[in-house]
Amino acid sequence: MTTLDAKVPDAAPRQTLRINMGPQHPSTHGVLRLELELDGETVVECRPVIGYLHTGIEKSMESRNYMHAVAMTDRMDYLNPLGNNLAYALALEKLFGCPIPERATVGRVLLAELTRINSHLVWLGTAALDLGAMSTFLYAFREREELLDLFEELTGQRMMTSFIRPGGLADDMPEEWLQKTRKFNDALPRRIDEYEDLLTHNSIFKERTQGVGKLAVADAYALGVTGPLLRASGIAHDLRRAHPYCGYETYEFAVPTRTEGDCYARYLVRLLEMRESIKIVRQALDRMPGGEVRTSDRKVMPPPRRELQHSMEALIHHFKLYTEGLRPPPGEAYVGVESPRGELGFFVVSDGSGRPVRIHERAPSFANLQAIPVMAKGGLIADLVAVIASVDPIMGEVDR
Amino acid sequence: MTTLEEHIAAAHPGADLGQTKDGTVFWRVSAGMIGDAVTLLQRAGVDRFLDLTAVDDPTRDDRFELNYLFYTSTGKRWFRLKARTNGDAPSITAQFAGADFYEREVFDLFGVRFVGHPNLTRLLLPDDWQGHPLRRDEPLGGEPVDFTVTRDVYGT
Repeated sequence: MTTLDAKVPDAAPRQTLRINMGPQHPSTHGVLRLELELDGETVVECRPVIGYLHTGIEKSMESRNYMHAVAMTDRMDYLNPLGNNLAYALALEKLFGCPIPERATVGRVLLAELTRINSHLVWLGTAALDLGAMSTFLYAFREREELLDLFEELTGQRMMTSFIRPGGLADDMPEEWLQKTRKFNDALPRRIDEYEDLLTHNSIFKERTQGVGKLAVADAYALGVTGPLLRASGIAHDLRRAHPYCGYETYEFAVPTRTEGDCYARYLVRLLEMRESIKIVRQALDRMPGGEVRTSDRKVMPPPRRELQHSMEALIHHFKLYTEGLRPPPGEAYVGVESPRGELGFFVVSDGSGRPVRIHERAPSFANLQAIPVMAKGGLIADLVAVIASVDPIMGEVDR
Repeated sequence: MTTLEEHIAAAHPGADLGQTKDGTVFWRVSAGMIGDAVTLLQRAGVDRFLDLTAVDDPTRDDRFELNYLFYTSTGKRWFRLKARTNGDAPSITAQFAGADFYEREVFDLFGVRFVGHPNLTRLLLPDDWQGHPLRRDEPLGGEPVDFTVTRDVYGT
């Protein structure tokens, strides 16, 4: 009797299949392309191919002045525009060595944390959507919409805000806006409870994420991985704690970590981070001092309008600043800040003229992306979707 | 605990150390020494590679200044390595796997060849791209807009 098996020639060579995932795949969060080698459904090899969103921002920055570059930092990590403004502004301020008023510093912390919440909300919505949880997406974007309305009210823009500038803030924060922000911030913890109800103990979500895409600490270190990915692997490294800027050392907040290093751990770390950000926002609102939001250094920020009426010197400063732009003293400076995705740094080289010699962004997603092959290897192709979502790459800052 | 500076001074007396404006200490080495320097730093406790970029100065023969950024978790500090080259540098992917993308990016945008890199191909630009756009003498360029006047002038 011949069995069904006997018909299959057993000498058939086992073949792997090479396919492209992306750049137009909806779960690649932009234009990431992954060259996959598959054995059945198992990923044998994964090679990220990037560059589809390369816009030459660093080159463009060299041909414009320092103020124009602020607008371009927004467009690098488009979910964290205020964080990018902040890192760039801090690097330039290292060159100038100018004093920043207290109100501007607290305002920067407030805005940076609101942006972190915004970014994590988008991550939460899209990551859950990738795993089939449509309702989380709708809830997360409901809150994000309120947050974008707040940004629009303050800065005039929903996303490309350019609000944190070298020397302080572009404008003052009105009392009314601060109250609205407080109202939004106070309502947020309950909303996060809702997301947790939907996902944290959801058995489908847990099965899709627990034990998937493990990243060991040694690999994370070797690949330069930072941010929530590193903290989900058990390393409590947060630049706000390790190298405080903008007075973060005076705020009370925890650095959430997990030891599992899988997609579920990254989900938990990010959710806890949102809760910590809410705490920081509340503290910033409580302590918001009065006063100016622009530095008194007239080489960095223009003098206020009222001075122009009767001070010749103010008029000269105003004229010089708007015709020549900022002229930082020669030298180079690097400042790293904790973006929602990890260590975001700007390396600025100045020769003393009005145009930068070089502005380089150390983009967290760029380094984190290199960890995808390590996490994806040996897993299923369906798990790869969860892995990409848990890395939260923003192609705008990867390709720049 | 011995600091990184002490480790370096012990192995290379008279090493060229300096500080950038933000207070990060840098060590200037020759391009050929990059591999040894990274090994020394690793032994001294540097465990993370964070960044690599280049700064171009076309007026010099050794026009590219490579800027490596490292971090030590034990010392909790950044450390910068600088090396000048005219187009070749040893790859450090064997020591830090994370340097892979960064070296490809610098190769792509500046044209610095990293000897020993396992797959030194263009990263951001198309494979058939001519030139290296982040060089200072590379014009900003742009596509000529198809107006009648540009057709006459540029022959597009």
